[in-house]
Amino acid sequence: MLNSLTRRRGVLAGIALAGLVLPVAACSDSSTPTAGSSAVAGALSKNCGSGKTFNIGFAQANNAEPYRQRVNADLIAEAKKYPEFKITIADGQGDDNKQISAVENFLTQQVDLLMISPFEAQPLTPAVTQVYQKGIPVVELDRQTVGDQYTAFVGGDNQAIGKQAGEYVAKTVLPSGGDVAILEGLTSTTPALQRTAGFQDGVKGNPNIHIVAVQPADWLPDKAQTVFDAMLRAHPSIKAVYANNDLMANGAYLALKGQNKVGQVAIVGTDGLPDPAGGDQAVVDGKFAATFVYPTGAAEALALAKSILVDCATSVDRNTVVPTSVVNKDTAPQLIAAAKD
Amino acid sequence: MLVRFQSLLGLVLVLAGGLVFSPRRNGTILFLTVDNLANIVRAVSETGIIAVGMTFVIIAGGIDLSVGAVLGLAGVTAATLMVSHGWGTVAAILAVLVAGLLFGLIQGAVSTVMRIQAFVVTLAGLQVASGLARMVSGDKFININYGHGPGLAPPSFAILGDRLFGNVIPVSAVVFVLVGAIALVALNGTRFGQHVFAVGGNERAARLSGINVRRVKIITFGLCGLAAALSGVLDAGQLSFANPNSGTGYELTAIASVVIGGTSLFGGEGTVVGTVAGALLLGTLNNILQLNNVNADLQLIVTGLIIVAAAVLQNVAARRRAT
Repeated sequence: MLNSLTRRRGVLAGIALAGLVLPVAACSDSSTPTAGSSAVAGALSKNCGSGKTFNIGFAQANNAEPYRQRVNADLIAEAKKYPEFKITIADGQGDDNKQISAVENFLTQQVDLLMISPFEAQPLTPAVTQVYQKGIPVVELDRQTVGDQYTAFVGGDNQAIGKQAGEYVAKTVLPSGGDVAILEGLTSTTPALQRTAGFQDGVKGNPNIHIVAVQPADWLPDKAQTVFDAMLRAHPSIKAVYANNDLMANGAYLALKGQNKVGQVAIVGTDGLPDPAGGDQAVVDGKFAATFVYPTGAAEALALAKSILVDCATSVDRNTVVPTSVVNKDTAPQLIAAAKD
Repeated sequence: MLVRFQSLLGLVLVLAGGLVFSPRRNGTILFLTVDNLANIVRAVSETGIIAVGMTFVIIAGGIDLSVGAVLGLAGVTAATLMVSHGWGTVAAILAVLVAGLLFGLIQGAVSTVMRIQAFVVTLAGLQVASGLARMVSGDKFININYGHGPGLAPPSFAILGDRLFGNVIPVSAVVFVLVGAIALVALNGTRFGQHVFAVGGNERAARLSGINVRRVKIITFGLCGLAAALSGVLDAGQLSFANPNSGTGYELTAIASVVIGGTSLFGGEGTVVGTVAGALLLGTLNNILQLNNVNADLQLIVTGLIIVAAAVLQNVAARRRAT
């Protein structure tokens, strides 16, 4: 009796599972063959050459962050300039183990080039090294793995971005000086430390500027609101605040609003995303005095991919630093318009 | 006893689906390559080991929500002991495993002695464990670098991230299989195993027949804590890195594996083989979807549908048995 029941249940399970798997897997593509490799001596890619299609796998750290969504969107938009590239983005979902699986699966799929923004450096290093050592070129975007087992790195220079923000505050926002506060990102992350250090360096040019408070708000707007609210009460003299990202700059704005001090303190952010919820719009709306673009590097990364895969380059720049730019009232509308195309 | 092997059948079907829908290159079925199959087992080994521990708790009528946080705590504790305090690999691993066991036993004791639902106690345990993990790590990530001397972990710890048999079979996969085998024997071949089923099936009857119900329940929580700690050690070893937030959400994947494996959340029924197959089913499914470039959002949705399907099948069977 029991046996016949379980057997029937097994069949049911089979039907249910098959029903789930079939329609999903049916939208797969049969991988494009890239056989007939024209081996160019010393080329970084074994499969390179013109007139072929190339599969590029991009292992993204976490799709659920505004900046990373921008990177994905830029990559897809830029890739339209290269009809020979087929880009697949795998979401690491902010979990090292998931991103490692994504990298391993790209290796199984035998992609022609791996792009990756490692969620965390050390955990992803062995998986990336494995891909690199199998002869697949690796372009790292925004974040690096440990060691030298990759082909090239493209990213912004956080220290330089912080320094430019500091110089902007020293020269343009508060030329006659004043008290300044800093809202720092998660202090266990290098971008937070580098941006803060760069900013502190940048304001040195103006001896009348005094940094009176530096507090971490962990990249989060709600935390920044609480922290900056307390800062304002402790130091009512604060005239400008620099936030390591735009989300925290937004939190600072909310704190100002809560104390009816909007307009009395200049906010300078970092990221400069052109999306409706991004920092560029906040500049247009007059919430921020300025923000500094943390570039996605998508165009630069794809240009590298082209020289590796199509032009059979034997060497490429190992480090491509993408420069930042200031977003203020003059430049913000253009940037927003450009991103809509 | 052909009970509750729905997940095994499901696994066979998913494997068959993998063969059919696998991308191919030069005649090779990419899904079937040894590397790929090893990757699947490696990818599910951590949640799989937790799920095996969870199977005991759930069969005995409980639930353990703290396992993901315990994984994070175990990882940073092992890393700190080796990196900051100069402990050897074996000593650090043993200390962490004992700590995990104790953490589970305490949760079990609080739940049974003070008569608080396991859900509430382990929800509290989750908070406590993640707080401890942040405290131990100083709220920082710990990079584990190998060598001899201060600030370095013993190189033998790196073995956990290695692959055996010609650099193919990951150590974590081997550990997963071993844990499954031991759990299978413990649940189906010992008096303790019979008691776990008895307690989950009918607590009153179990008590009347002379079983120390409290003790059995407490031990199941201890085993689950032990499994979570083991996963944490493997996590740190595989990644050469410990993050107090590691393991966030793993409790849900583990519970999903157990449910898909046919274990009843009401207790009294369940198998280790089902759970292992359930974990592998989820891993294989994700692998096939990824190999076909189906995005991660859809993977989550499909996983959800499978959980519902498994639960529906279980209900159908239970209702028929009742009539």
